[in-house]
Amino acid sequence: MARVMVTHADEPIGRRVVKTLYHDDRVHGILAVGQGPPPRSFDRFLAGSDPRVEYARVDLAKHRPMSDLFHSSRFRSAEIDTIVYVPRHGATAADSAPILAGLAERTAETRLLMQHCLEAQGVSNLVALGSAFVYRLPPGNVNRLDEHSELDLDPDVPPEIRSWIDCDMILHGEVHNDRLRVVLLRVPTVVASGGYVYLNPALSGARGRQLRALGFDPICALVSEKDVAHAVRAAIHARTSGVYNIAGREAVPLSVLSRWIGRATTPIPDPLIPLASSVARMLGVKVAGGTRAPHLRYGFTLDTRRAERDLGFLPVDRIGLARAGDGSYRIETVSVVHA
Amino acid sequence: MSELPPATEVLLEEGPDDRALGRDPFEESLAPDPLFERLDAIEGRLVPKPRRAPEPLPAPIRPRAPRRSLPRRSRPAVPALAEIELPEPSGWLDRLLGDDARRVLAALNHLVEGDGPYDRFGFSPDVTRATFPIAHALYRGYFRVKSDGHAHLPSAGPVVLASNHAGLLPFDAAMTIVDVALHTDPPRLPRAVVDRWAGSLPWVNIFYARLGQIIGTRENFTDLLDDGQLVLVFPEGMEGVRKTVAQRYRLQPFRVGFVEHALRARAPIVPMAVIGSDDQTPILYDLKPLARRLGLPVAPITPTFPWLGPLGLLPYPVSYRIVYGEPLDFHERFGPEGADDARLVRYLSNQVRRAVQLLLDRNR
Repeated sequence: MARVMVTHADEPIGRRVVKTLYHDDRVHGILAVGQGPPPRSFDRFLAGSDPRVEYARVDLAKHRPMSDLFHSSRFRSAEIDTIVYVPRHGATAADSAPILAGLAERTAETRLLMQHCLEAQGVSNLVALGSAFVYRLPPGNVNRLDEHSELDLDPDVPPEIRSWIDCDMILHGEVHNDRLRVVLLRVPTVVASGGYVYLNPALSGARGRQLRALGFDPICALVSEKDVAHAVRAAIHARTSGVYNIAGREAVPLSVLSRWIGRATTPIPDPLIPLASSVARMLGVKVAGGTRAPHLRYGFTLDTRRAERDLGFLPVDRIGLARAGDGSYRIETVSVVHA
Repeated sequence: MSELPPATEVLLEEGPDDRALGRDPFEESLAPDPLFERLDAIEGRLVPKPRRAPEPLPAPIRPRAPRRSLPRRSRPAVPALAEIELPEPSGWLDRLLGDDARRVLAALNHLVEGDGPYDRFGFSPDVTRATFPIAHALYRGYFRVKSDGHAHLPSAGPVVLASNHAGLLPFDAAMTIVDVALHTDPPRLPRAVVDRWAGSLPWVNIFYARLGQIIGTRENFTDLLDDGQLVLVFPEGMEGVRKTVAQRYRLQPFRVGFVEHALRARAPIVPMAVIGSDDQTPILYDLKPLARRLGLPVAPITPTFPWLGPLGLLPYPVSYRIVYGEPLDFHERFGPEGADDARLVRYLSNQVRRAVQLLLDRNR
């Protein structure tokens, strides 16, 4: 029986993880933590005299609130043994990597959480979501990447990706810890029903015109938020630690994905992207992807066989374009039962 | 001289340890020197002590599981040509193709698992179907390709096809792909390994990926062989493209990575020779300093380039001859562990080079 704390439970992937774990009989209690108020969808989970889900508002990037949480009577009484670290992901691009005390917020959060997990005696498992955009992308429309592929340690990577790499390295450093079992799940672009896309540095964030490199159309590996939640659940119950790639079956070019989520794209010659981005912002036009980052030119798909072998993870969702009730077409995820 | 006050007299009488006047710096001290005390202490610590047996390490909380091999992926099953229902031609370009070629294209649709438009390397059957008629026309009409030794191509399982490379534009690769696809049953699509530089070129990178070509990284190569696909390599790399007229049909040193991957994947290496590609764009001189400055792999001077502009890069209508040699089953003798021996891998790479050179010399 696991007792789980889920971070950023007020954001889309965190919400989905809490919902999935709620329906898992082997999860005894869930402490959902978020910066905002509890989501409305949690009302039914939080209702009742002895609910399986509790919700707490905590700013995870700050030391004092985090320390208060881990030393609180609520945390002790919940007897939490597993932490599911879902990093902040629902923020707009401009706020996606704010700097706190010299560190990106995500990095500060990861560092603090790791520190407290190592100190807390009762916590024995840490399952963390990372990004697959941490890999160094060789030139090419598609590159197959596995867990042994090189990370992009180039100092010129955009701050958004830099913060993911820092988090990855903090978590990776404790993968062989004998007391704390650490599972790091590297996920590519996460797709949710209704046309929402998360964790893609090129697409997540502010709605607006999407800039992309002219003559390049990188393939984007996709995974549905439900499959991410299934992978988290598999990682909680698996008795192993390590780094695992998690991805769905689909991979589509960036232009197609942009079209699917209703985002207009403007191809710009690669060297001119920063200039075009600056000009657009001066003119008051919202733009996304205004850097010369490799992921705007080069794509990747992920080898998930290690996750299949060690975690028993198999994606069950198909991702595609579906016709909505109002006649418009939107990206949808559909679960497919495998024989 | 004034007399000392009584108190001072008392102090002087007390001897050298009086505190009012301090210690005489020239007086030899009988007290032990603290420096030597410290040195003695250090020496005492340096005296080797009898060693105790090291304490046994505590048993890990979770014993690590032994390494297990990765699960085998379900390989795309391409049906035999006899099982393919002949599709109706979809346009005038399609009508130019014969029935056999249209059957081949229909069979290649099965390379994409599920109903998605792309496989995990970006291969698109639709783009292949649209461009195949042009490649087929070049194959039949422009390069008038004749080929031999198709029996040496395994009909299934991972294969590495090692070829010579020449000509500024990779028509040798295109003709090999068409030839293999047309002469294997079930049809096999060679996945050519292209240089990283090509992957950084706008539009070219997309075009190559949609036709099933891959960038030569360890992960791509390994994944395709694990998948039981046929991988086409040009072990000379860009050195093959840079060959001048004087070096025609003389193979440059081979790279070794393909042998390593073939050993690990237990894949046979089929040597092959493309005769004709060395004559398609004869390079008179390679302006290497200019190429370096422009970031290009080659800056050629040919009888037509740069005099005719980009048109000068187009190949002459030479006739191609493609010959496949007998498969080299190194993996049967040396096994996957042979890939860890750098000298062995180098030696085997030279053996492949020799086999390709022999094919070239015999069929020119």
